[in-house]
Amino acid sequence: MEQVETEVLIIGGGVLGAAVARELSRYNADVTLVEKEADFGWGSTKANMCIVCQGGDALEFRPEYLRSRLVWESIPLMEPLCQELNVPFKRVGELALIRNNEELIKFHKLKSRAEKIGINSHKFIDQGTLRHMEPNITREAIAALYDPNIAIVDPVRLTIALIENAVQNGVKVMRETEVLGISQEANQFKVETNRGSMKCRFIVNAAGTSVDKIARLVNSDDFVLYPIRGYVGILDKNLGDLIKHEIHMRPDAPGQMNILTPSVHGNLFFGTTMQPARRGNCSTTGRIAEIGFQNVRKIVPDLSEKDMIHSFAGFLMFRNWELGWHECVVQDSRRIPRLINVCIGYPGVSAAPATAREVLDLLRKEGFTLEEKPHFNPIRKSSPIFRELSEREQKELFARNSRYGHVVCRCETVTEGEIVETISQGANTMDGVKFRTRAGMGRCQGGFCTPRVVKILARELGQPEGKITKKGRESRLLLYRSKELIEAKI
Amino acid sequence: MKYSEIDVAVIGSGPAGMAAAIKAKEEGAEHVLIFERQEQLGGLLSQCIHNGFGLLYFGQDLTGPEYGHRFAEKVRDLRIEVMLETMVTQISADRKLTAVNSHEGTIHMQPKSIVLAMGCRERNRGQLSIPGTRPAGIFTAGTAQRLVNIEGFIPGKKVIILGSGDIGMIMARRLTLEGVEVKAVVEILPYVGGLIRNEVQCLHDFHIPLLLEHTVTQIHGEQRVEAVTIAKVDKNKMPIDDYKQHIECDTLLLSVGLIPENELSRMAGVALDPLTGGPVVDQRRETNVSGIFAGGNVVHVHDLVDEVSWEAEIAGTSAARFAGKEEMEKEKKIILKPGRNIRCIVPQTISPQHDVTLYARVKDMEENITLKVGDIFSKSLRVVKPSEMLKIDLTYSQLGQLKDDAVELSIESVKRRQNG
Amino acid sequence: MVEEKIVCIGCPLGCRTTLRISDRGEVIKVLGYKCNQGRQYILEEYRNPVRIFTTTVLTEKSSRSLLPVRTNRPILKSRLREATLTLVGVKAKPPVKVGRVILPDLLNSGVEVVATDDLFPDPTLPIKGEGEGGG
Repeated sequence: MEQVETEVLIIGGGVLGAAVARELSRYNADVTLVEKEADFGWGSTKANMCIVCQGGDALEFRPEYLRSRLVWESIPLMEPLCQELNVPFKRVGELALIRNNEELIKFHKLKSRAEKIGINSHKFIDQGTLRHMEPNITREAIAALYDPNIAIVDPVRLTIALIENAVQNGVKVMRETEVLGISQEANQFKVETNRGSMKCRFIVNAAGTSVDKIARLVNSDDFVLYPIRGYVGILDKNLGDLIKHEIHMRPDAPGQMNILTPSVHGNLFFGTTMQPARRGNCSTTGRIAEIGFQNVRKIVPDLSEKDMIHSFAGFLMFRNWELGWHECVVQDSRRIPRLINVCIGYPGVSAAPATAREVLDLLRKEGFTLEEKPHFNPIRKSSPIFRELSEREQKELFARNSRYGHVVCRCETVTEGEIVETISQGANTMDGVKFRTRAGMGRCQGGFCTPRVVKILARELGQPEGKITKKGRESRLLLYRSKELIEAKI
Repeated sequence: MKYSEIDVAVIGSGPAGMAAAIKAKEEGAEHVLIFERQEQLGGLLSQCIHNGFGLLYFGQDLTGPEYGHRFAEKVRDLRIEVMLETMVTQISADRKLTAVNSHEGTIHMQPKSIVLAMGCRERNRGQLSIPGTRPAGIFTAGTAQRLVNIEGFIPGKKVIILGSGDIGMIMARRLTLEGVEVKAVVEILPYVGGLIRNEVQCLHDFHIPLLLEHTVTQIHGEQRVEAVTIAKVDKNKMPIDDYKQHIECDTLLLSVGLIPENELSRMAGVALDPLTGGPVVDQRRETNVSGIFAGGNVVHVHDLVDEVSWEAEIAGTSAARFAGKEEMEKEKKIILKPGRNIRCIVPQTISPQHDVTLYARVKDMEENITLKVGDIFSKSLRVVKPSEMLKIDLTYSQLGQLKDDAVELSIESVKRRQNG
Repeated sequence: MVEEKIVCIGCPLGCRTTLRISDRGEVIKVLGYKCNQGRQYILEEYRNPVRIFTTTVLTEKSSRSLLPVRTNRPILKSRLREATLTLVGVKAKPPVKVGRVILPDLLNSGVEVVATDDLFPDPTLPIKGEGEGGG
């Protein structure tokens, strides 16, 4: 890579970095985003419960804290953003279940306090209405607190759409590019990456679980982050109709949460345990799954371990352990000029829209001139998703390209046409195809489609099948050709 | 063939689908159509290049593809229509069927009867919650089999296989013959999950270590599998910390169970038996939805492909008769109940007016037992194991002795008489 | 005297038997079996342990990379690895029908290696016509 010079360098292609890129693309500026993985959104962005417009957390809001303000300001921005970017957004609403008088009183107090600071969306639901809204949940709930604002999205799709719209409007992005060193020179930064060096005037450090590591590269470490690992289980789509709202219950033990929510794709997600953990250790265990099921059965009694198709763990970076999730880092470095550090912790996806604007304000304060681009196009078109189309639309799509008639992933009904399209848009790994099209995310978890997706990737990228990777770098899937090992022994 | 004229539509062209279609045609159905999502007839038979197929059905020891060929030839001779690379995406309770392929796009039809023959999918890591990283190099044994036998790739050269089901053991041998070092087959139970024949001819023959009462407790490696931790387990299948081993490998294969694939069945409102994972069927292999029949691994996981074909033939016959609007008498239904040490029984209901063959699986291994069907049948067996399906033939005169609407199938321990 | 252990595969019991073999290689005693058929199998397996060998061979000029093959009769278990090495260099060329002999004599045993599936030519390759060039 020849020396890249840019005005604003965004480090990190997760939902926050992508949101900043898109926001910056409204203005005349030379912006480059670097992402260390083979595709976008592979850090905390892909490992959470996909819930946004979290006014519910408004019950715990402290308006004096930046994080609360950013989440609150993002609420009216999220739906229009998803519409502009053509990504899924579903307003499901949230029910906080109340099991006894003690909980009822507690919620009353929280609701009153929230109303005092202008949060008026919550409503109490009585048992009868609750039964009607959610016939399959536990009979133990005597009431619920309802917040109609809560919605669900697909954070990785959102991130990719933000990136695509940013690129559409002039931002440059580089994948598999990891920042290794940052030094200051005159009025700029020199940034060393695994693919060569770059020069830039401003840095937006949105590197997720590595935000503090990147900040330390240039001695900007005026904050410490604490990794908290949360575990999420995914239930079969067959159960998708069991509940309509995001439902939670106060956890019975510390370090746990008890949330059950629909996902935009028709699965159910449940969230359990939140514990401090060494970052990078995204392991899941049977014991955590067990606790998760014990908890979630308190919401819907009929769930069984057989219903789980997958699980994952994701990291939330907390700013300050004592203050829990009230603090976050969206600030200019106090030591280093023209460097903005961004880390929300929780809920990152929810706070992304307002956070992007906040970062732009901070850049302005650091001397960045923002001149609006006259031809900024906020609309990003989505490629066709076969299973979501009407029969007539499917027919038209098929008439244009018969590959849309070849179903490759049977569990999620993903066609070859979609996979080829996503590769042309930049997917070049198995996980890339998976997160962009959902091929491999169904109940067989890639058992059927894996050999076929490998073939399609190889064909479209003009590479031998042996070179195709799961997630870039050294993660090749197929290490040897038939007879290669025996031949070596002859 | 006009789509409006289909008498019997069969979903799946494996040993079940082809057998059902052929039988349906032989029993008088004029227009029979098979749907197959893969590129050729045979379903999974094409990738099962080992022998052991057809010992009962043909009296010969055939490989998977050879077994498939016998049926495929008959499918062609009988002019049964086949739609390859076609995915059935929906079926409804009134037998409206939607399928998709790259020649015609979306296809709609409403056949007079449907035979479900979709087989199984493999249980995978998602459901196992094995702790550890998510590197490349983890495959289910069946997917690995396709890669090795059809696509021409060897996943890695140092392999650990979790689960001693038949597919896992077959792959242990197959990989060894392709130059791979299969370091161990790891099984959580105290006995092998598949057939003894495979234990001997796949593991003993090649000196592949079989670690019983062990499981994988962690996967290592960030980009590609680098090692696994294996631990011995106690009676409750919980890992014992003191007995852990760290084994270097670049591939982990999972052979941890098969699940009947009933997405389409569910869509059509077909009632499923939670014990088998497949549709509740009567001795004609009809489901609760009129005109929808099922046979083969989609109903319950079989050990032998011969039994899969025989069972599917019952479904094919019934489908043909239904399509031909043959009068199917309203028969009394007797419910079969799993008793002691019985996990599941197929069919779940029978009529007392016909001879019938029952299939059952036990929960645990037991030696010296008596297999009983109520008061009407009793047989002593030396051993019963979960991996070997039981087959019980009952005549209608035996069934005629039943007084109630339900009868229990159970395993009784034979008490040994003490001398003196 | 040596001992050899063989697992009987005659029925699901899978009796683990032990054979006592004299220095001259004769079976002195069989222990651990529970029925006569089992004993017969074990003796046969000791004297003549044979297996049907199945594998794949590489192909050329076909859209399929591999052709599955088998031995038409069992071969000695001890020769399985040798058989594998022998077949590495074999390449099957279409058209092939099930049953076609791919290798007439495996390891001088008289056993044939036959195709267990069909092999069709690659439809995207140009077909060499008859009568091309001189008459």
